[in-house]
Amino acid sequence: MLTLITLEFLKLLGSRSARLALIVCFVLPLLWAFAPRLEVLMKVAVVSGWQIPAISIGIAVQFLIPLFIAVTVAEMIGTEVSQGTLAPLLLRPVDRTTVIASKLVVALAYPVLLVGVTVIGSLLAGIPRGYGEFTGGTGMGPGLFVGVGTLTSNQALAEVLRGSGLAALMLMPIAALALLFGVLLLNTAAAALATFAALNLMRLLVVFPETIQRVLLTSHLNLYAQQTDITQPLILLIIYTVGFGLMAVFAFDRRDI
Amino acid sequence: MTKQGAPALPAIEVRGLVKRYGSNTILEDVHLTVKAGEVYALTGPNGAGKTTLIRCLTGLAFPTDGEVRLLGRDVHTDGSRARAYLGAVVEAPAKFYPQFTGTQNLQTHANLAAMAPGGRRVSRDRIREVLALLELTRMADRKVQEFSLGQRQRLGVASAILAEPKVLILDEPTSGLDPLGIGLIHRIVTSLATSGCAVILSTHHLREIATYAHTVGILTGGRMVDTVDLRARQAAYRFRVDDPVGAASALERLPFVRRVSTRTPYAIAYLGGEAGVPDALAHLSNEGIRVFEASPDHFDLYEYYRERVEQA
Repeated sequence: MLTLITLEFLKLLGSRSARLALIVCFVLPLLWAFAPRLEVLMKVAVVSGWQIPAISIGIAVQFLIPLFIAVTVAEMIGTEVSQGTLAPLLLRPVDRTTVIASKLVVALAYPVLLVGVTVIGSLLAGIPRGYGEFTGGTGMGPGLFVGVGTLTSNQALAEVLRGSGLAALMLMPIAALALLFGVLLLNTAAAALATFAALNLMRLLVVFPETIQRVLLTSHLNLYAQQTDITQPLILLIIYTVGFGLMAVFAFDRRDI
Repeated sequence: MTKQGAPALPAIEVRGLVKRYGSNTILEDVHLTVKAGEVYALTGPNGAGKTTLIRCLTGLAFPTDGEVRLLGRDVHTDGSRARAYLGAVVEAPAKFYPQFTGTQNLQTHANLAAMAPGGRRVSRDRIREVLALLELTRMADRKVQEFSLGQRQRLGVASAILAEPKVLILDEPTSGLDPLGIGLIHRIVTSLATSGCAVILSTHHLREIATYAHTVGILTGGRMVDTVDLRARQAAYRFRVDDPVGAASALERLPFVRRVSTRTPYAIAYLGGEAGVPDALAHLSNEGIRVFEASPDHFDLYEYYRERVEQA
């Protein structure tokens, strides 16, 4: 399994879409941090470098990172099919569950990588504003950017780490969904579009009663900043991830390649 | 009392294979058996179902009905064990990760081959050995995207024989190769078969395959319309002589000659084996017939195939 996971990671890091996504996730916070109208648009007075990660993640997580995840994860199957490299892999004495499970592990690690690079870029961008004690909030803790008083560096770091971890976790179902569509459609463009269409369709379901909204994946894409009890949305997102992942495994097990 | 061993298990066994996509039947009740050491050539017109059959044989596609066993194990329900001794190339040219070098690609395949239940590690020396065997040493450390089609195809065969398979399945293995490359693949296949490996290959090059395949399966419209045992048809010898008719009547008198015919400037005789050739030559010499050449008269598979496909 480790052999396959290593291979999948090497392929992921070698793919153009993943490289582009990582560069954009790293560079974008640097641009945002120095954008002259950032504070006007965000309606936030940025007083500390600790606030940049929340700004970057808040912007990227709604559209950009899900797009990167949908395309790159769909590519994990689609490119292999179009390049013809999936068949030679399956001709080896490795069962299909192991092959797809390795892809799933790497697909789920990809949001962590993207959020991690975004946070690193943000922390670099925040250097001119400093990382000392400040009055306000990180945007990922109580009171969001306004905060609830003075924050020490350690408290701010803890909030950023918690928020980043939750951001990566809430993006995992999207990765699992893209992999499922990849297996079902065996085509990168079709799978990426299907993933994005499914997310947008869920977003459109705001017109339905709140009970339905509560179980929608897209209703929880602000988990990183949520301060109320996150147990329920967390369990729901894990169910989505595991559910999509298992469906991908079962669909792949009897798929003609 | 002598003990009789159990009959050897076929290396490849296909029983009642049916493959349908919706209402379209691609393979219909296909049966075939390949023993260890046998070279089985699969041929047929384009769209006959050869690639689908190869994909079903290797476990890449799942049959609608029937079963495929490799070394006694069902490739669709016990895939990882069934493929433990399988080497295969299912596309021409063979596909590899273009961003990795030839050696890195083979190393990946070596690592995956070692994941077989009870699988043994493929050493770096073995990787170098197969690269040298396929005349790819010079390209070993170049990225596959720099390989020509023929080089990719040879790398595919290198990957297939890497883990010393007992079953080798090749789809159009000589596609895109130059004459030297074709000869190289033929020598490798023959050598593997001699060492006991069962080989199935799909091909359109009938005259080439007739020289070293043992059996030829003709697939048309998803049905296996004929299976030709070439070993049973290669007992004929031809003699280039100054008087073919006289030679034919002289040869006919020999007790071990089953049948004679003429094809000017040749006299053709079915001798039952090459052991009869010296006696036949001596007899022709005694009869005053000058012999310029004696050689096996290969069965014309192409002509046979053409007739068979037209009848089907």
